[in-house]
Amino acid sequence: MGETGINSEKTGMLSSGKDAPCPGPACLDLVVQGKKIHYHGTRNVLSLLESQGENAVYANVRINGEVLRRRDFENIALNDGDEVDFLYYMGGGARRQP
Amino acid sequence: MFNLSEEEILRYSRHIILSEVGGAGQQKLKDASVLVIGAGGLGSPALLYLAAAGVGHVGIVEDDIVDITNLQRQIIHTTADVGRPKARSASETMKQINPHIEVDEHQQRLTKDNIFEIIDMYGIIVDGVDNFPTRYLVNDACVMKKKKLVEAGILRFMGLIMSISGAETACYRCVFEEPPPPGTVPTCAEAGVLGAVAGVVGTLQATEVLKMITGVGKPLYNRLLQFDADELRFHEVKAPRNPKCPVCGDNRTITELVEYDYTCESQAPSSP
Ligand SMILES: [Zn+2]
Repeated sequence: MGETGINSEKTGMLSSGKDAPCPGPACLDLVVQGKKIHYHGTRNVLSLLESQGENAVYANVRINGEVLRRRDFENIALNDGDEVDFLYYMGGGARRQP
Repeated sequence: MFNLSEEEILRYSRHIILSEVGGAGQQKLKDASVLVIGAGGLGSPALLYLAAAGVGHVGIVEDDIVDITNLQRQIIHTTADVGRPKARSASETMKQINPHIEVDEHQQRLTKDNIFEIIDMYGIIVDGVDNFPTRYLVNDACVMKKKKLVEAGILRFMGLIMSISGAETACYRCVFEEPPPPGTVPTCAEAGVLGAVAGVVGTLQATEVLKMITGVGKPLYNRLLQFDADELRFHEVKAPRNPKCPVCGDNRTITELVEYDYTCESQAPSSP
């Protein structure tokens, strides 16, 4: 059942599962930015960000509604069913230090 | 009855015919006052639509002058305006579109010492700044003064918008507690921005303002909408009030205005 194409545009660590659950213990069912995905990578927030091609410096991360602290990205484990949102600092702004 | 002339009734007929707006809604627009901070990428479309819609009193805070690199997205200014103050250029365009409105030009930089006085003159605030110190200053001041604020930002192919009813709904700090470290998030000048993305997001800001004034619909409170032009997708994130928020939460640690120092004091805040 379930296992469908690999999302090759990102890093190949994700497969889009339509609505089917993960086929085995090797992957996690996550909802990332409102989309259901099968995640095969290392189970922490930093790895997920990187697998999505996101820059951990720009993105804030919320799991199940809770905003995470940036310094915890590497230590926070992902669990089956987590809903993950990336919230980006936008506002141009932060001019580089000379 | 309504204090609208024949000419105004014709001009706003496509509003007035909307049963949710009507003459009463148009009168509310005429009686309203809105402050737009920044006459740049976001401020341009927001100001144009507020003017066209007949918002009776609009303020512009902007201390920058029009530069040739602005014109790719800051559509309220024209090539002939290069070198002129943006606040003046914007207000002239607005009055050409709609001579029935009053426009204030605040050609100054917002600081913790002048922001309360300026925002107090208006009912709703629109944030169209491109720098984090001013963005946090505006958020905190609007929470403290219980002002309605339509917050937004853009970068590259993305935009973000969130409406805030000061001290009643989630504020910008409820989601983005502190500014990013200086130098980590690039400016539009460094990272670029697709011009029309400013149009999408600034127009959404104007839409929110018109809804708030007329009472039509449901504002984007306690929600954050991210726009991704790359895939042409909107992603809404629920953003309820954060009890740990330093400015509007249960144990407030920010009780007076702070101005973050991004070291470039000599560079006036300009608009995205
Ligand atoms: Zn807050």
